[in-house]
Amino acid sequence: MPSWQDFQPFIVTGLALGGVYALSGVGMVVLYRATGVLNLATGAIGAMGALIAWALINDHGWPQGVAYLVCVLFGGVVTLAYGMAFGPPLAGRDPLVKAVATLGLALILLGLMSLIWSDKARSMILPTTTEAFAIGTVHVTWTQVIGIALGIAVTAGAAAFLRYTKLGTGMRALADDREITASLGVPVRRVEAAAWLGTGILSGASGLLLSNLVGLDAATLTFLVISSVAAALIARLSSLFGTLLAAIFIGLVNALATPILSISQYRDMAPFVIAVIALLFMSRKGNLATARGAR
Amino acid sequence: MSTATSTPDATPRLRRSAPGLQTREIRSLIFVAILLIVALAVLPQILSVYWVTICTAVAYYSVVAGGLGLLMGRVGLVSLGQIAVLAVGAWIACKLSFSTSLPFPIVLLVTGLITMVLGTIIGLPALRLSGLYLALITLMLAGAITVALRTMQFPNGGPGFLGNDPNQSDPVRRPAIALTDVAYFRYTVVICLILFAIALWHVRGRAGHAWAAIRQSEPAAIAAGVNITLYKLWAFALASFMTGVAGGLLAGDVQRLYAITFTTQQSIILLAVVLMGGIYSLWGGIIAGIFYSLVPALLNNWGVAADWLTILFGVGVLQVLLTAPGGLSQQFPRDMKNLYGLITGKKRKERQAMQAPPGGEAGAPRAAVSDGPDQSGVVE
Repeated sequence: MPSWQDFQPFIVTGLALGGVYALSGVGMVVLYRATGVLNLATGAIGAMGALIAWALINDHGWPQGVAYLVCVLFGGVVTLAYGMAFGPPLAGRDPLVKAVATLGLALILLGLMSLIWSDKARSMILPTTTEAFAIGTVHVTWTQVIGIALGIAVTAGAAAFLRYTKLGTGMRALADDREITASLGVPVRRVEAAAWLGTGILSGASGLLLSNLVGLDAATLTFLVISSVAAALIARLSSLFGTLLAAIFIGLVNALATPILSISQYRDMAPFVIAVIALLFMSRKGNLATARGAR
Repeated sequence: MSTATSTPDATPRLRRSAPGLQTREIRSLIFVAILLIVALAVLPQILSVYWVTICTAVAYYSVVAGGLGLLMGRVGLVSLGQIAVLAVGAWIACKLSFSTSLPFPIVLLVTGLITMVLGTIIGLPALRLSGLYLALITLMLAGAITVALRTMQFPNGGPGFLGNDPNQSDPVRRPAIALTDVAYFRYTVVICLILFAIALWHVRGRAGHAWAAIRQSEPAAIAAGVNITLYKLWAFALASFMTGVAGGLLAGDVQRLYAITFTTQQSIILLAVVLMGGIYSLWGGIIAGIFYSLVPALLNNWGVAADWLTILFGVGVLQVLLTAPGGLSQQFPRDMKNLYGLITGKKRKERQAMQAPPGGEAGAPRAAVSDGPDQSGVVE
């Protein structure tokens, strides 16, 4: 068994990963509550944004800040476009169908990425990664700090937004009943568009951070969405702070298993294992299909 | 039971039940027989060994797709990790092949049964929740199995339980009667036919009716006394069994397996081709198998990047979900019929009358994956 010293650096790694998982996880939950769509293309959108930023910096010599902004905006625009094009026709359908439809978007993006950026190794290093400080003996980069801080800030911000603003109230009303909300005079399309745009920006940001923290590879980044899905699932697709805690827990378990040699290679199974245990625990009282979070 | 007579959701257009086979079913049987003769006798004669191997892959991927189509079209469950289940089946078959001296058919059977048990255990917690939860759990399962396999690799005659030795690469055993690629192709087609028959038998029988009831309305099914958890689990177990056996066939076909070929992306692509092939008919499975293995090989042959196909599959998913829930297996015969009508000029007036409402056929079954047009008993 490794000593406490060996674990320390991985606490920071885990927290940072967890924060970024929370970022896209919270985006998913907000969108799911407002529109009933679980956006499984979140990872692919973030990955494509990151690859575009990489290409802009390395092939076209754009300034880094502008490229990062393009990445984040790309997430917002693509998600909004998808939401505008396919949201309304699928609005009355089962959540499962809506989720599967986003996989169509994910496949289109995956195909495009592999077509444009053939599979060669790339790396994205944000300027904040080179700036670091030490807590005790642990080396902490500013990117990691941003990951944790942004995760917590976005969760708190989204919760406050849903609670206190008019738009947020509209989203919460949509979560309960789309028809009644519309008849009360809430501009349903506009509220949904805001949800798509906001969560798209979050997926762009998390894609950018993950491309630095994990690696810039289309397939890897696309399917990192699984960790966020696991966190959202544990929070029953409804609680924002639940998603944050679950995401940080998943990130920590994933990272802390690294120094333990016997399970180190299997550590990426953490989201699945944790989600299954949580589901077993949740379903012990029988059928939860009618629970609000599960629709 | 030859026709669907007692489906809870029986639509008025269902044929009256008559003893024996219906004309339509006889026609389907003849079609299957012709197809089989072509596959078993003609194809190996006219194709090179490379293309015969591709056709072997089409056969077992059709079974995997058929299992997934059955889950989605019959019961309304979506699995996003069927390629991972296939990988598990292949792993078990490799293990059995190297650790035991069981004959190949027994290896396939045991592989199917073990995969079935594993699939059931994993499906159980999620099946008690909603369909979305099951889909997400299977997506995570796909990710987890990919991670585990990357480390474990496939048994290749090495020592220990995992049986993997990086310096060794013994081939998986094939049945004694099917050692060559061509013979193995015929063997695979026969096994796949048996698997499709098992699936058809379930769809026609008691389980099929219970699934139809569940797909229409879970509360109504419960009220009618259908044990929905049992029958959902049953469907999941059947699909896992079929996929497990297909994994065994894959192991015997490829003989030297590498974890890198089983990715989460492949599971999503499988879902896409199954949707495009059509989930309400077992023919959809065969179309999906062709899309999954034959079309990429053809494109590769013509020098077109396979990425275009991935994009096409993504567009296909959206198109199917928006306008054509029956997929190609329903669309194609309909188009052919229309074409025939156009050429002969027959029935033009009736057709125009039928298509009077805008959107026509596409608009009518504008239904979820889980509540498509009732097709039980009409599996051609």
